[in-house]
Amino acid sequence: MTLSGVSPVLSRLLIPLTCLLLTLVSSSEPQTGVIARLPRTSRAEIVARAKELANHPWICGNSNLRASCSSRYHSDWKAGQRVTGIPYRWGGTDGPEDFDRKLAKGSAAGAHSRYGVLSCAAGIDCSGFVTLCWGLSASGHAYSTSNLREIAGKPKYNWFTDMKPGDVLNLPGSHVVLFTGYNPDGTINVCEASGSKARVVCHGSTWSRFKRYIPLQYKGIDE
Amino acid sequence: MARCSALILIFIFLLGVLPAWNAPRALPGDGANFCAIPLTQVVEIPISRQGAPGTAPSPGGDAPTLMISPGATDELPEGPDSFDVLDDGSLLITDPLRSRIVVFDPQGKFRKAWKIGFAADSVTVIPNGMIVVQEAGTGQLHLFDRDGQPHPKEVAAFPGRAEARVLTGASGTIARTAFHKSPRDPLAIQFDRSGRILLSIEGLGDDREGNTYVALESTAASGSTEEVNVSKDVRKYTADGALVREIANIPLDYYVSPVDELRVNKGMVYQLLTTKTGVKINEWNTNQLCSRP
Repeated sequence: MTLSGVSPVLSRLLIPLTCLLLTLVSSSEPQTGVIARLPRTSRAEIVARAKELANHPWICGNSNLRASCSSRYHSDWKAGQRVTGIPYRWGGTDGPEDFDRKLAKGSAAGAHSRYGVLSCAAGIDCSGFVTLCWGLSASGHAYSTSNLREIAGKPKYNWFTDMKPGDVLNLPGSHVVLFTGYNPDGTINVCEASGSKARVVCHGSTWSRFKRYIPLQYKGIDE
Repeated sequence: MARCSALILIFIFLLGVLPAWNAPRALPGDGANFCAIPLTQVVEIPISRQGAPGTAPSPGGDAPTLMISPGATDELPEGPDSFDVLDDGSLLITDPLRSRIVVFDPQGKFRKAWKIGFAADSVTVIPNGMIVVQEAGTGQLHLFDRDGQPHPKEVAAFPGRAEARVLTGASGTIARTAFHKSPRDPLAIQFDRSGRILLSIEGLGDDREGNTYVALESTAASGSTEEVNVSKDVRKYTADGALVREIANIPLDYYVSPVDELRVNKGMVYQLLTTKTGVKINEWNTNQLCSRP
């Protein structure tokens, strides 16, 4: 059959439709590839990693109070202070092993955005924390709150009742927290790398704090 | 002369109407009549932005303003996130970026600053008049007296939170304290709001008259939306369990996420709202008489 045998309207649409189809196929291929390469993990493993980061004990040494790469740096800690939880470092992705190694070498313990991304500091930020909990590599910071949607989909269930441990609440460009459970009073439990608490913490929270946040579910979860 | 009389009549009319405009209004609901309480007062306290000229990021200082840090992509703004109210109406507000607790008078005028030496993310006046302050970086609790003097040898503890339970999208319970004759009987909460379902119940405390104050979060019953969308009401129940006052839809447009956003003292409900331009303390007086329509 030639194009002349097709109705005139269809023949006019044929080329644009083919282009659209090719575009869809080519754009979905890399995305599918990314998802196929995501490390698989269970919800129990995600929560266990979060608790490990929140419960990690460390002691702040004198050398960890200064940042050799920033003259403006001011530490959240005191010398000899015993702390539980990996400290908050803007742009950081350090898990317990990397953090301990850097701390031993004299890196600053944590840093906020007001000092810039400090290569001489150790710790983890909010998006580094959730991706590390999901099992993504600690080296590099491929995902932020702005592009988490590439590896996490929006669940279709009622998130006020049906969220599952390991899902996150994300405010693109701002902050992300890991959901770990509901409480009988209707509040929720979350773990997060918190700038104001200067470290990874797990705690209860009302919903109001997460107004305008968007629930997301990691695409590499083994249900 | 006629014009003058008309003006007098309008003046008399306004005298009658204006007080009622801002007065609590009785509303039917939840099987009883209760009053919707309007915002009584807003106390505004100026802030300094970290990084602005003349603002010291270092701890301490007697600056009369509170400090905020604007944060960045993937870092929330930081600043005053907890407060409480003394019996004389004075306000204690955390100033974590300067490692201080700052005391303001009831009108928001700076009184003094306690240089506590750590970033605090919670301040609570406990029944004996002492003040419990939580260190943000460690969660450790510290005890201070009303003059800001530390009491390191005494054990600091937050008062226990009332146990609450959401039973359905329209009901729940909350435990009551020793002010009640029968503290073992939990307070039953009914949330009969058309088109909304109850999400959470948070106890804000009881007063000496046996009234119980709760904060209720709710969302649209129509199901999921594009983003988390909640509203928050504060209610006052009598010792008999009757709902008598409600503050509907308290503002939730926080710039700095609060740790302690609501406090109750002598029938006044206070809210800490740190915005981009300043710290607001919203106040609602639940002691106002209820005008019946």
